[in-house]
Amino acid sequence: MRTEITAKLRRILEPASIVEDETELLVYECDGLPLFKHKPDIVVFPATTEQVAQIVRVANEYGIPFLPRGAGTGLSGGAFAAEGGILIELQRMNSILTIDVENRFAVVQPGVVNLHISQAAAPYGLYYAPDPSSQMSCSIGGNVAENSGGPHCLKYGMTTNHILAIEAVTTEGEIIRLGNPAGEMIGMDLIGVIVGSEGTFAIVTEITVRLLPKPQAVKTMLAAFHSVEECSQTVSDVIAAGIVPSAMEFVDAKTIEAVEASVYKAGYPHDAVAALLIEVDGFGAGLDETGKAIVEICRRNNAYEVRVAKDDDERARLWLGRKGAFGAMGRLAPDMITMDAVIPRTRLPEVLVAIDRMSGRYGLAVANVFHAGDGNLHPLILFDSRYPDQVDKIFGMSEEIMKLCVAVGGSLSGEHGIGYEKKDFMDLVFSEPDLDTMMRVKRVFNPTGLLNPAKIFPTRRGCTEIGKHGTTSTAEIGKHVEEILLASPSGRGRRREARARQGAASREGGPGEG
Amino acid sequence: MAENLRPSPGAPSNDGTALSPQGEGLIDGIPLAKVVRPESIEDLSEIIANEKGSIVPLGARTQTYFGNLLRGADCAIDLSGLRRITEYNPADLTVHVQAGVTLGQLQQALIENNQFLPLDPWNGPNATMGAIAAANAQGPFRAVGTIRDWIIGMKVAEVTGRISKAGGRVVKNVTGYDLHKLYTGSIGTLAIIAEVSFKLRAKFGRTATSIAKAADVSGAARLVASVRHSALEPVACEWVGPENEIWVRFGEHPSAVDWQLKNLPPADWTILEGSEESAAWERLRSRYDRLRPIVLRIVGLPTSTHEIIKEYRPPGWIAHALNGIVLAEVWTAADIWRVREKYRAVIERAPLEIRRDLPTFGLNDAEYNLMNKMKHAFDPEGRLNAGRHVDGERNQ
Repeated sequence: MRTEITAKLRRILEPASIVEDETELLVYECDGLPLFKHKPDIVVFPATTEQVAQIVRVANEYGIPFLPRGAGTGLSGGAFAAEGGILIELQRMNSILTIDVENRFAVVQPGVVNLHISQAAAPYGLYYAPDPSSQMSCSIGGNVAENSGGPHCLKYGMTTNHILAIEAVTTEGEIIRLGNPAGEMIGMDLIGVIVGSEGTFAIVTEITVRLLPKPQAVKTMLAAFHSVEECSQTVSDVIAAGIVPSAMEFVDAKTIEAVEASVYKAGYPHDAVAALLIEVDGFGAGLDETGKAIVEICRRNNAYEVRVAKDDDERARLWLGRKGAFGAMGRLAPDMITMDAVIPRTRLPEVLVAIDRMSGRYGLAVANVFHAGDGNLHPLILFDSRYPDQVDKIFGMSEEIMKLCVAVGGSLSGEHGIGYEKKDFMDLVFSEPDLDTMMRVKRVFNPTGLLNPAKIFPTRRGCTEIGKHGTTSTAEIGKHVEEILLASPSGRGRRREARARQGAASREGGPGEG
Repeated sequence: MAENLRPSPGAPSNDGTALSPQGEGLIDGIPLAKVVRPESIEDLSEIIANEKGSIVPLGARTQTYFGNLLRGADCAIDLSGLRRITEYNPADLTVHVQAGVTLGQLQQALIENNQFLPLDPWNGPNATMGAIAAANAQGPFRAVGTIRDWIIGMKVAEVTGRISKAGGRVVKNVTGYDLHKLYTGSIGTLAIIAEVSFKLRAKFGRTATSIAKAADVSGAARLVASVRHSALEPVACEWVGPENEIWVRFGEHPSAVDWQLKNLPPADWTILEGSEESAAWERLRSRYDRLRPIVLRIVGLPTSTHEIIKEYRPPGWIAHALNGIVLAEVWTAADIWRVREKYRAVIERAPLEIRRDLPTFGLNDAEYNLMNKMKHAFDPEGRLNAGRHVDGERNQ
């Protein structure tokens, strides 16, 4: 059977675009969240939409799971083959097909790196707004799947607000096109529900994104505080003053310690308990006044230092510290887990205090660097994977943080997605009817459940994903795959590993975040 | 090819039936057998659970003409009783409202904190938030997004009476599927919107509108192009025809508005602010109401706006000039067919005769198939606002 599948794939792709070697497959066993690992059985590198469609039809013919993957920088375990099967790696579909300057949109393939879109549009004074911190490496296809955010979505919105049209391969292997470059929704908002479906609805093979004119002027400032409360109050006061900053980022003492000891050294004040990186942009006219108003609010909340970037270099350095913070954590601990949760921004002080207490109780250091303007927390739990007890504690602490955020009116994820990591927390925020309705919509797009199984829904529910004939569970599909693929010599001795496992987390230059 | 879209012999007369708010007992010519008015979401759930026939959700009835023809109305549910703003957190820039809250009521509550929801649908402040979302109703404010960009969560009543929710109550959230986006624009045919959560924004520091009249279509096109090529960032830019007036609205920090007004491309601009400005936009809304008998939303590109107007020469139009969308006054079904040969076009408003013969959305096969499957997944017996959406698209 394995030979048959490979033979069919070889009719679609050249041999160099098919990876079956067990050692090479290890590269694809996880995404940016290495706590969860499971090798795909085959990795394929299509170059065209038609090839993606043909691959999907082969997967359907043999009833084996398949899933798309971009740069693999995701942090929720959304892009690993939890049930094995065919991993469709889209990195070779990395062309920018059109930049329409007059109408301000670009048509790109899913493997294009996020930042490359802005770079290509820059000569025309345009850019692509959503900027996850991993934008130097994450792919736009992955951004669409995850509805990625970033520091600047406080003013400019998430990925979903910038996708105008898509081409996608359905789970049946059909090629469809939805939307239009005007971004005008006709009928139901199918694009709106596909963006953020974490690769469980369709494989997006071409994306039309909105381009924005680069702001005339930008003002970036850093304010240092002696207390978390004063720092948090500043966030609320800026919003209450009617100011719409393009970004408002919180950096705590531990993060500053890591950043300043790393190659991302940004000149953050060493003695700050917390600092805010605030950016406003727009027309030059009025921006100075807005900047002054923000400085005044910071001072009123006892900021002991407020530094306004004098030029682009200083601005870039301030951002380097923020964007490099995750990578810099390698200075403090060998391993790290990046949490992602959202709370109403007014609840920041109490939640940060509670997380600090948890950190003491679990004996695990936590650094906080996050998008304060929209209450999107990123507690970074630092640990050493050589000590198994620390790994166990992480799961307990993650769960407690999630419950805390939900209890104050927040949600499980602001930008990283649910993926595999948080699927069992879904019933903290959603009732049985809520999940059942979502599952119903999933079945419309993905009736067999073969596309990216075992994601998003709680395990007990995932195990009852109903297939086309009302019988196939993901567990059964997984078993089916085992049977098919173990028959091959290269599959002998492999074992399913979709389990929590110690792993090296992001170190300097590692996977990104929002 | 470029025929004028003007009355032709035999064009359907506009009897007003489908254009004005309809009588208590009639929608699309179908008598409402009964009208019930729930006072709570629990009431709504119970009413739907006990109803076995076709169900029609009603808001303020400002746009009952939108969508394909209704097929049945055994039970009309008047949602005006669900009129509570259930939670407003100014510091978090979020508000949660029941479906029957009107846009005017909501903006009134928000203004106290110098906040607002940047939506100005043509159907005005009396329209309910549930209905604006259900119909994806829009107006000139487009640079700051349409309603889909401001909704963060929703609670709906499904055809079984079951209440379910999607999204959340925080401004940034990727937990679970964004089903609230799917419900937006589905005209209550998947589920009935019971509560909507919005993110908000601070009121603009200042707004101002500049209006200039061009000599002809080409002159107007040149003026729009110079706005497009400038450094200006209007929050709305409307090309009103046949007068060929260009309306450019700015909303920003007062100094930024000032800068933009000073940098308008050369033309004889009239600048309006304050009550004069509001009154002008109210007039434009009336102008939209006078587009008839058919309003077709033609979807092009900013660069094709001129071409659309030149090619079809509608007797009247309002174009979102920087978005490539033309709301064109047309007269016959043949006019609609002709536009659809080249452009996507949604029928925003039309007499019954036209809506009986032509699909509202003109969906392509991929859209139709997916939406049809979605409709069946939510409402297999086709009882919710029967015929209004995809279920009425291909049976003309």
